[in-house]
Amino acid sequence: MSTSNDAGDTARAADELRRRVARQFRRSLHIRTLDTGSCAACEQEIRLLTAPHYDLHRLGFFFTPAPRHADLLMVTGPAVRAMDVAARKTYDAIPDPKIVVATGACALGGVYQPDLFVHGAVDKVLPVDVWIPGCPPSPLALLHGLLVAVDRLAAKAAQLSFTVTGETR
Amino acid sequence: MAPWFLRGLRRGVVTTRYPARRDSSADDLPTPPRFRAGEMTHEIAERLAAVCPSQALRRDGGVLVYDVGACTACGRCEEAAPGVAAPGGQFELAVTRRADLVKRIPLRGEASS
Repeated sequence: MSTSNDAGDTARAADELRRRVARQFRRSLHIRTLDTGSCAACEQEIRLLTAPHYDLHRLGFFFTPAPRHADLLMVTGPAVRAMDVAARKTYDAIPDPKIVVATGACALGGVYQPDLFVHGAVDKVLPVDVWIPGCPPSPLALLHGLLVAVDRLAAKAAQLSFTVTGETR
Repeated sequence: MAPWFLRGLRRGVVTTRYPARRDSSADDLPTPPRFRAGEMTHEIAERLAAVCPSQALRRDGGVLVYDVGACTACGRCEEAAPGVAAPGGQFELAVTRRADLVKRIPLRGEASS
């Protein structure tokens, strides 16, 4: 028995568990947002989700003001250290099973390097399940991320190479 | 009144499929760049890594490491290397594994220094 096989089995089991949890949330899911030092551009885009044009309620998503009523925690910002206790309390207050979504380039570790004031990425503080890139991610990108979180759409970024082949332009 | 409201009352289905059609604003969104692999030399990679403000581009030996998650789609790389970097057009980039967002682009030619 090799360790690489064990790691593969664990990864497969974790993936299967993630999918089972996601399926539970397919019809109705309540979102709590947590700002860990964001510039508020992400918040602005998140607020746009409830506008008639995007209308995330038709997809079964709702925002809740209390973490105890939430299924999904949407975290923005680079995880400032001053928010450590608040972030942990918010995460602990959400009943299991729960999904954590890191939202925006700051939360993914793009904009701030770790220093005395920030961790630089949300996954250093909380266990992240879905990553949504963008600065800020547009409402369409957020909708796609939420639907990936509940396993209703496939994540496609793994297949994209972000290169164009060809010698001449 | 939203059409899904009546449809929901009639069929008892409260959620809809997504998306109904491609959004009209999708083409105007700033998107992370994609690179012309055939023209990606060491010199250009060095320039791109120096100009990137969010450490999304960094050189690792003979490879340009491109972290799409760190990219803010600011467009500085497209200005620094006009023929090589261009808007990628993809914005629905959510993933369940962080490593899926890190791309490795092999460099062409020999290192100059």
